[in-house]
Amino acid sequence: MLSNKKILVTGASSGIGQGIVKILDRRGAELILTARNEKKLKAVISETNNNPSYFLADITDDKQIEHLVNNIQKLDGIVFCAGFNEYIPFKFIKKEKVNKIFNVNYFSSLYLLQYIIKKKKLNKGSSLVFISSISSLLGVPATLLYAASKSAVNSTVKVLASELSGKKIRVNAISPGIVITPMLEQNNINKEKLMEQEKQYPFGFGTPEDIAYSVSFLLSDESRWMTGNIIKIDGGFTLQK
Amino acid sequence: MKLELFIEKFIEQFDDTSPEEINADTVYEELEEWSSLIALSVIAMVDEEYDVSIGAKEIIESGTVKGLFETVKAKKG
Repeated sequence: MLSNKKILVTGASSGIGQGIVKILDRRGAELILTARNEKKLKAVISETNNNPSYFLADITDDKQIEHLVNNIQKLDGIVFCAGFNEYIPFKFIKKEKVNKIFNVNYFSSLYLLQYIIKKKKLNKGSSLVFISSISSLLGVPATLLYAASKSAVNSTVKVLASELSGKKIRVNAISPGIVITPMLEQNNINKEKLMEQEKQYPFGFGTPEDIAYSVSFLLSDESRWMTGNIIKIDGGFTLQK
Repeated sequence: MKLELFIEKFIEQFDDTSPEEINADTVYEELEEWSSLIALSVIAMVDEEYDVSIGAKEIIESGTVKGLFETVKAKKG
């Protein structure tokens, strides 16, 4: 389904990114992975069949973006998966936190993509997939920065889908509900609360693979008529909201 | 690190609980106003005031205000 497609995946070393690597690899994509942690990235690669190449890079750093982009071949797709969540009540928000979350969740993807486009490293007909979050559509307490950074991603998808349509480049996002990842474990106050929350998900919490299958579809030519969409995948969670 | 000051900062995270209800031995999870948002506020307060990063685990395991104070103190080293 994805054979002969060169796909760059950011944030590939854990969580949803790791699940995406697994599925895309299985479907024959030629993957280029990037993340900061070599040990974790190598562990992800050891589970693959097609030996993806990788670049260790902190994509919040422009110099590292340049190095990465200058050393890769032309791409057919990018999955923007680098991101993190930190629950911060509004009154504790500080500029440093704003910068940190927006740098990782938004600006890094923006500048990486901009440099890739400037360097003409995207083939005609490429597909770009951003990982957003249903947080951007809801009002969960203490998620202001995370939700706002993902809302910025949503707007970007719409505008770029339009701007890049001339080159037949498609831009879509997936907005997952709660997916079981290390990020979830780090952030949660207690297990009982989490189990209570899972009851609100008709199909339970998701797995990284649940997101990866849709990413795979969006990267493939089967979705060639789709652009500018923010696709909600949440096991039915928002049906009752 | 002073326990009194920690308790004062801890109390500041509550809006509807009278300060007298909170002391060193208070089991905070039993307070009526206790919520996940207040827990997050306590985590953020500890980060801001003591430059110590604690998570859900420490909040749950520490139990009392003094217990949490000791946890923060130990992490600060």
